[in-house]
Amino acid sequence: MKYRCTICGHIYDEEKEKTLFKDLPDDWKCPLCGALKSDFVPVEDAKAKKMISEPVEDFEDMEGLTVSQMSALCSNLARGCEKQYRFDDMRSFTELAEYFGSISPAVNDGKVEDIASRIMSDVNENYPGAVEVCSQEADRGAWRICVWGEKVTRMLNSLVKRYLEEGEDMLKDTQIWVCTICGFVYVGDLPPEMCPVCKVPSWKFQKMEAKA
Amino acid sequence: MKFAYRNLRLCTKDCLCLYVCPTGATDTEDSIIDVTKCNGCGACSDACPSGAISMVPKEYPAQQKHGERVLASLDKLSKSKTEQEDIARGIAASTDKDGLYRLMKAFEMSNRLMAEDILRESGYMLPQSANAQNFLISMLENPPKGFPVKAAEDILDSIGCNEPELLRKRKGEAAYKCGYCGVIFMAPEGSDLTCPACKTSGESFKKVE
Repeated sequence: MKYRCTICGHIYDEEKEKTLFKDLPDDWKCPLCGALKSDFVPVEDAKAKKMISEPVEDFEDMEGLTVSQMSALCSNLARGCEKQYRFDDMRSFTELAEYFGSISPAVNDGKVEDIASRIMSDVNENYPGAVEVCSQEADRGAWRICVWGEKVTRMLNSLVKRYLEEGEDMLKDTQIWVCTICGFVYVGDLPPEMCPVCKVPSWKFQKMEAKA
Repeated sequence: MKFAYRNLRLCTKDCLCLYVCPTGATDTEDSIIDVTKCNGCGACSDACPSGAISMVPKEYPAQQKHGERVLASLDKLSKSKTEQEDIARGIAASTDKDGLYRLMKAFEMSNRLMAEDILRESGYMLPQSANAQNFLISMLENPPKGFPVKAAEDILDSIGCNEPELLRKRKGEAAYKCGYCGVIFMAPEGSDLTCPACKTSGESFKKVE
């Protein structure tokens, strides 16, 4: 029996390993990306997996962009300008992104649990729905972004679950790294040699520093 | 319609670009190729043994259009990501726990990156796109308090649109039809006109509504 990591695709092959997957300890983690044991799925199941959620149908009453979306829209375009070596335009879009960031309403009473519940609706509804629509409309670009994003979101799910169970002990004397390309988050002393989701080298990871 | 760009991370200072460049664009103090001198011939890129120079296009084609249902499901996702980013930012600002602070800074950054990716695939990939420019034009029509008007105007003045037929009218602009190729484009009223598609200039333009 083989088990596949839903985040980085690492295969745990019981024939090659000494231990059966079910006998691995609960705190066992993916040797490649550090995901939880519960993020692994049997390989057969993964193939047979069907999309269960309904695609979004209510596009007619789609509302406009929020201020926070506008900020991300402008920081995305700043990156677009950087890639085209248009550095003056990059700075202008960054200024716009910072402006929208500064007028977005502050969230003062948020809890880690609020993030956890939104992650669950992304994993269970929003991504499967988007992937279904993208495949129906043969939109490869949008589909690819959903594939990367869903993996990163599953990793955030792993980390948020661990933090809610283990608290500060989980992060004591260790570092948190973010892939600056796809947003994959890794906990460990050093970043992975290669991003398990988007495959960029370790120097593209950024270390999260302590509060100044 | 290309220019040479040197990736300093790959450059091993073999300096063959200096020997082959016909205009001296590669001969600079800061190792950055001078765009104003580069004529786009590609000789430096062909000669470079470490593959550090690429020929970058000056113009980009319009991107693939996305269906409305794709856009609606991506909008749900980018809303969710930006909400999570805002919550993480709020928790990081108020907590005094070191682990939680760093984890929430990581979540803030990760969600921003995912939101950017989703918006990029929602029709906002290129700053040259009509979507991106219409967004700026509509903000300028009724700018909210403190909006950086100059930054938005600078972008619109410096980046050409690759879908001019879809562009909104800016203040002081009019729509013109090229008498040669038939393309409709926007330009400041009363200015000297050049067609963005066929590059014809002169008297062959007609103002349209």
